[in-house]
This record gives sequence, C-alpha cells and structure tokens, in this order.
Amino acid sequence: MARPTQPRHPLHVLRVIAQLAFFGLFAGLVILTARGTFVAAHPYLAQLFFISDPLILVGALLAGGFTASLLAALVVVALSLVAPRAYCGWICPLGTIQDIVDKILFRRRNRSKNMAPRLRQIKYGLLVLVLVPAIFGLGVFGWFDPVCIATRSFGVAVYPMADHAARTALIAAEERGVPGAAGAYDWARRHHLLTQEADLKEGSQWAGYRWAWAFFALLAAIVLVQAYQKRFWCRNLCPLGALLGLLGSVSPFRPRVSEKCTKCDRCRERCKMGAFEPAPGGEKYRVVVQECILCYACERAFCPASAIHVGLGRPGSVRPVPHVLPSRRAFLGTALTGAVLGPAFLLDQRSRAKEESNPMLRPPGALRPDPEFLATCIRCGECMRVCPTNALHPSGIEDGIAGLWTPTFVYNIGYCDYFCAVRKEDQERGGAAERAANLCATVCPTGAIRILTQAEKEEWKIGTAVLDKSRCLPWARGESCLTCEEQCPVPEKAISHRTVEVANNEWLKMPQDRRHRYEELEARRDREGLTVVEEAELDAMPPKMQPLTLPYVLRERCTGCGVCENVCPVDGPSGIRVGRLQTQEIRQD
Amino acid sequence: MKHCLSRRAFLRSVGAAACGAAAMAGCAGKEPGPGGWRMKARPHPDADAWKARIGLARGAADPAAAVRTAIEKLCDPEGVRTFVREGDLVTIKPNIGWSHVPEMGATVHPDIVAEVVRLCLEAGAREVKVFDNSVGTDSKCYEFSGIETAARRAGARVSLCARHRFRTVSFDDPRVKRLKQWPIYEDALSADVFINIAVAKVHNLSYVTLCMKNLMGTQGGDRGKMHQEIHQNLADLNVVVHPTFNILDATRVMITNGPGGGRAEYVVRADTVVCGTSAVTVDAWGADPANLPWPKGHHDLAAVEHIALGAAAGLGVADPGQIEVSA
Repeated sequence: MARPTQPRHPLHVLRVIAQLAFFGLFAGLVILTARGTFVAAHPYLAQLFFISDPLILVGALLAGGFTASLLAALVVVALSLVAPRAYCGWICPLGTIQDIVDKILFRRRNRSKNMAPRLRQIKYGLLVLVLVPAIFGLGVFGWFDPVCIATRSFGVAVYPMADHAARTALIAAEERGVPGAAGAYDWARRHHLLTQEADLKEGSQWAGYRWAWAFFALLAAIVLVQAYQKRFWCRNLCPLGALLGLLGSVSPFRPRVSEKCTKCDRCRERCKMGAFEPAPGGEKYRVVVQECILCYACERAFCPASAIHVGLGRPGSVRPVPHVLPSRRAFLGTALTGAVLGPAFLLDQRSRAKEESNPMLRPPGALRPDPEFLATCIRCGECMRVCPTNALHPSGIEDGIAGLWTPTFVYNIGYCDYFCAVRKEDQERGGAAERAANLCATVCPTGAIRILTQAEKEEWKIGTAVLDKSRCLPWARGESCLTCEEQCPVPEKAISHRTVEVANNEWLKMPQDRRHRYEELEARRDREGLTVVEEAELDAMPPKMQPLTLPYVLRERCTGCGVCENVCPVDGPSGIRVGRLQTQEIRQD
Repeated sequence: MKHCLSRRAFLRSVGAAACGAAAMAGCAGKEPGPGGWRMKARPHPDADAWKARIGLARGAADPAAAVRTAIEKLCDPEGVRTFVREGDLVTIKPNIGWSHVPEMGATVHPDIVAEVVRLCLEAGAREVKVFDNSVGTDSKCYEFSGIETAARRAGARVSLCARHRFRTVSFDDPRVKRLKQWPIYEDALSADVFINIAVAKVHNLSYVTLCMKNLMGTQGGDRGKMHQEIHQNLADLNVVVHPTFNILDATRVMITNGPGGGRAEYVVRADTVVCGTSAVTVDAWGADPANLPWPKGHHDLAAVEHIALGAAAGLGVADPGQIEVSA
C-alpha cells in the first residue's frame, strides 16, 4: 500500500541506517554498562545519550546538577537550530523503537482520520511543567525525558527480561545435555552478555529491579499508542521534542511545499509526525516545522506532484503557525501549575524534616543533604544498571512523590561492594588509586553521585548497621551465628562480638522437673559432693550454661555497605539492617 | 487476508515447534543417579590406612615447590598418580573466597593451585575443573586471588558457579546429626577425583578455617544457616562431601580478623604445605598451635570441636600424637 511513487531519497535511506546505528549503539551501551571495566574506561561513552540531551542540560542548569560534560548537548542544540528535530528522526532511541514497532505491528493500519492536531500542544505544556519544578529543586524532568525513559525501560526492564529468557533457554538446553550449551552459558556470563549471576547473592539469580514492570508498561504504552497515531509520543508528549522544535523554528532548512501542490492530502495522511496541513489561504499545503523530524519520506515517497522539497531557503518565522503552540493563557496556566506542583511535591518529602529518619539509602557519593540529591538526580537508572551486585533499585514513594525512581539500596538483594571499581593492580600496589571507586558515580550524567576515590569511599557512610535484638539469632534465640562479622568487608571489622554465659537452649528444653533435678544436683555437688550415680546423672543432662557470642556494631567503623544485612541467615527481615543513622558522623579511627 | 497465516501454515509451524521440543526433551538429560545426587569422587584405594597419614613440606619459599614436595613425601613413589588415573575428571576446590590479592593471605596461593592442576594433567587427567562459591563478589575473587589466571594458564577449566548447577544432596548418612539436605555444586559431585585446597586462617566463629571449613565453598543455598552449631554442621558436611585429597596452604597464615582479612599485616609467613586424604587429619595437624604460628592463647586444639566431631564420625584422626607425618 505504501508503495513509493519514486525511489527513496538517498537521505531517507541514510536516515534509516543512522537510526538503526544509533539504536544499536544505545542497545550496546545498555548491555556494556553492566561491565564495570568498560564503564570505568569510557565514562563519557557510557553517558553519551545523556550528555547529548539538551533537555537534561536545561533541566540541570535550572535544578543545579550541571556538569561540564553536559555541554556536549550543545552539539544537538546546534544541530536543531539548522535541522529542526533531526535528533528525533535520526538519533533518538525512543523514536527508533517506535518506528520499529510501527513497522511490525501497524504498517497496514489506516490512521489518516486520527489527526487531532491540538494534542500536539501538550508537549509544550509538559516541557514547562517539568522544567518549572526544576527551579524549585526537583529533577523530575527525567521522568519524561525520552533518553531517560529509553534507558530505564531497556536497562531496567527489557534487558533483564531478555537476559532471563536467554538464560532460561540455555539452562534448559544444558539440563537436557545439549552439547555446547553449558559452554555457551559460561562464555556469555563471562563477557557480561548475560548477567554474571555468580556475583549476585541469595536475593536474586539474574539482575532484576523493583518497578521494572512500570518501566516496561510505559515503554509498551508509548509504542502501542501508535495504533492511534504514528509517533504519538513524539508528536504530542515529548518535552525534548518540544524543546528541539522550538529551537528549530528559526531554521532555514526545512521541507517546503511549492505551487505544484495539488492538495491531494497524501502528505498529511502519511507524514508520521502529522507535520503537514492545509495553509489558511487554501491554495496549497504547508509544513509545521516544529513537528518535522526530517525523515525525508515526504519528498519522494508521499508527494505524487513532486511539490515537496527539503532544503535551504528563507529562515522561518519565529512565530509559528496557529494551533501549534499553546495560547499564552494556557502557557501561563501550565507554568503556574508547575510552580505549585514543585513545592507541593517537596512538601511531601520527609527527608526535608529530618535527614536521619530518611528511609532512602543512597549510593556512595550521592549529594547530601537529600534535597540536593533529589534536585540533581534525573532518575535515569544508569547507576542501577551498573551496580555489580544488583543492589541499587528505583525507589517508590516511600520518601514522597519527589523521590520516585531515584536510586536506593535494597540490601536483601545486593550490597555496596567494598571493592566496586578497585582493580587488582590497586591492591597489589598496596594502596588506593586516585580513580573513581564507585561505578554508580562514573555513569551518573549529572553528578548527583559524586566520584569518590577508594580512600573516600571507605570513609563514606551510606548508613549504619543496626542490630535488631528481637531477630538476631544469638540475641533473640541464643544460637551462635556471627555470619555478619565474618563477612563484614571492613578489614578491621565494623562488627565485633562479646562472649557471655547464657542458659543453654538444650537445658531450657528439658521438662521443668528435670531442670529442678539438675539444679538440685548441681547445688549439692558444690555443697557436699555427689555419688558416682548422681554424677553420671548430672553429666547425662546438657549443661545449664553455655558461652554465647553476641555481635555488636562498631558504628564509627561501619560504612553501611549492607553485606551484613545481605548475608544474615534470619528468615524474613534480617537481624541486622542498615538505617540512615549518623550519616553525618565522621569516622574517628 | 493474503498476509495472514493460513491455517495450514500455522499448523505446520506448531508441529515443527512440537517436534523440536520433543527432540530436546528426548536428549539425555542430566539426572541424578539412583538415590538422588551423590558425591562420585573415588576415595583413596587404601583409605583406612591412609587416614592417619599426612605429607608435610616446611621451609620452602616457593609455594609450588612446597606443594610438590608435600605430595611427593606422602605419596611416595607415585605422586598424584596414587589417586589420579588416566582419563579422570578432576575438580579442584581452592579457597577463592575473598576479593583480595595473594599477599593478604585470604585465599589459596595461585601457584599452589596451578601446580596441582599441572600435576593432575601430567598424571593423565582428562580435564581439570576449578571452582569456588566465593563469599565476596565472585568474579572479583577469581580475578584478585590470581587463581583464575594461574589455573587457566596451567590448563584447567575455571568457571564461576551457576545457580542451576547446585544439586540438592540429601544428607542421609547415619553419621550425620543436623543437616538434612543441602545444594552442592555439580562439579564437586561429578568429579572422579575431588581435591580440596584450603588456606590457613583464623575464623571468628570456628576458631580456624582449614580444609574441613573450606568445603563450605561447595555449598550453595543460604550458607549463613551453617553458622548455628557450626562445628556439628561442618562435621556433617564432611561426612557427605568427602574429597579424594586435601591440601592445606599454610605458606602464610592469617592470624587476626579472619577469615576476610584485607591487610597484609594480618598475615605471617609459615612456608608450610600439608596434605593428606583426610581433611580431619590435615586440620588436626594444622589447628595444633604447636605446628602453625597461631596467635598465643587464640585456641587450643580441643576448642576446634569440628575436628573432634569429624574424627568421631570416622573421617580421620583428631589426636596429633596419632598422625603419621611424612616430612
């Protein structure tokens, strides 16, 4: 049906190649981000799509998360000034995945009636709505930024799903004795193409995340709503698209419709962005430049009269055609709403009241106090993806709506690795290197997680482990344990123990009359001695007292890394848990 | 309707998929033998007589030479051929528990592992596998300890544990007191010869960690649950998971903050390697404060109950006086 009237424009072909190449790069980075050595060696490559995102640049400037690497976004700004929204058509991974799904699912679907041009105004509203709260210290534009959406969805939801599927298939083959399956599984794990499950402790067998369902649902919604309109998200909702479209308003480079136009309506029906509409005079069609993503399909594929030409010409007017931008009234209303919602979200945030009672355990190096972190973090999920033990997860609204999807540690799944980015040669030299020791900071595009050296990381308190005496086995049940002390990674140990004499569990389990008999015999032995028979009777009973080692936390040494909470053998909530107490304390020894 | 799948095409693809699935299901699956998963490793042909013997190398600065000497002393004149036969599958379980370089003394010296790999291959082993279920982040432990590189270079297949390869073994031996069942790594179960290589360290709960405790690295599951009545649990584990051969690397001994350590000053040199067919006997020798530089007053041999419990289960000799040392 969509047979082109002429061979495709060479730039149309090039655009498709570019899209696939950029999407391949994006997907490759999603996979490679799980490899610590890659991230440490090429931090800017790992952050590429973020630091080239102008919405993140603007948001960071407003909210305070600016880092010099974000200036790379100026390249995209410059591109957008001359080639409006070419980023959306050629580069954006979220755009490409929409095109791919559209080609597979909806290629024969007639959507020419679903124009709804006024919906397009929403994205400008959304742009204002997410940037105004940034002024109040809320980096929530990451919720709606397409690069953040794509990274969260692919890194935190789609990749783990694919990983699990591939893993299940390989394991099934291995268990059935298919030759080579076990080797393939080990090879893929070793090269981090599949999760290196050996690094994950009892909590999980493959990298999986809290909220992954939501990220997957969001991605699914974005690609499936194309049943109504192609590129629905890009047309109507994307705040980055809105920003780039505004930048491109002045561009001299754009599609233009010549006098040859026969008003056949095909361009309006087929343009995936709905960028064509009849000009007011009625003599021909025109292009809404803020909507055009320079996909190069119109020039040859749509127009039977060859009336469309993409190229240089008179620069466009800064004032766009009516119905494209929201009215001044709507704009002010949206800005006002953002100005109300920003502070309202922050009111909801408990950490502003008391830092120590904050339930969120932030990655090492996370900006403090927490409001600063909330302003700077763009909720992109990169830190969760890189965390080698799968310990970082998107938080829910435990800390208020403002904290949604910010990273937090879940220690019953993973822990903060003491040697996260340490290399073998660092240890061999016997000292900490000057390089980044926390991989989560290496990938953080806005500096919400500060880079720490190993020496700084060893000093950094994520929180403090607190023993729950009602659950800890020695304290609560009189059983020996000390698993937490054994595995505490601080060389001089932040958990120690004292030995006490307590009643023996076996003795306590004896019926009361036996216990009385024991005490009677014992008392008599001390007073006057026992007969041989009585001595034997006493020896046959378990001793009344036993030594027991009770663990305690040396809080000034504890880094809050969560290994103890992770390995605690208590079923259900661990007997030792990390809380955000005394995070401001300085280690004394 | 032209683009829709026809009924015939649909049925054909379903049939093909079903045949594929059936073919896969028909492949010889990995099944436990009768009575469930069991340790396959051969015991020493003359196990009872060998139970009390250990080989000892002292004073050699080179760990590889030391382990070679210890094995030669004990297994004179055949060396490892005493227990490794042509075509055997050998699995080695060194301590790769912590992400520390060898100088920290938290893991077995890589040269010792490499040397044992080499000896087994020279004796005609079909394949030598090396694994440990580490305590720390496993891939780092494998790398930092130097064992992954050294063993691979020596010709072994080194792989990190995979969760699905832990097989539930029932601990139904009458000598077992506490444990009912536990997942044990398949490589340890399926080997013809299973070699256990431990490093000598103090331990916050079991006083010392030597060969008997090192076998916890074959366990999956929630190993924290081993720590309640650890001595009995270790004896139980040793009843079921019985190595063909045990080596204790005491070239350096961790004397404080074990078993994790993390500083070179926690470690003293002892230039000693001990080996034997019984983990209990090797441990009884190693735990004796007279033999290794354990800190003064840290423990006496009787306190290390799991050794006595292991000996009571008939696994070895707990009394240092009864050990026949070949040095």
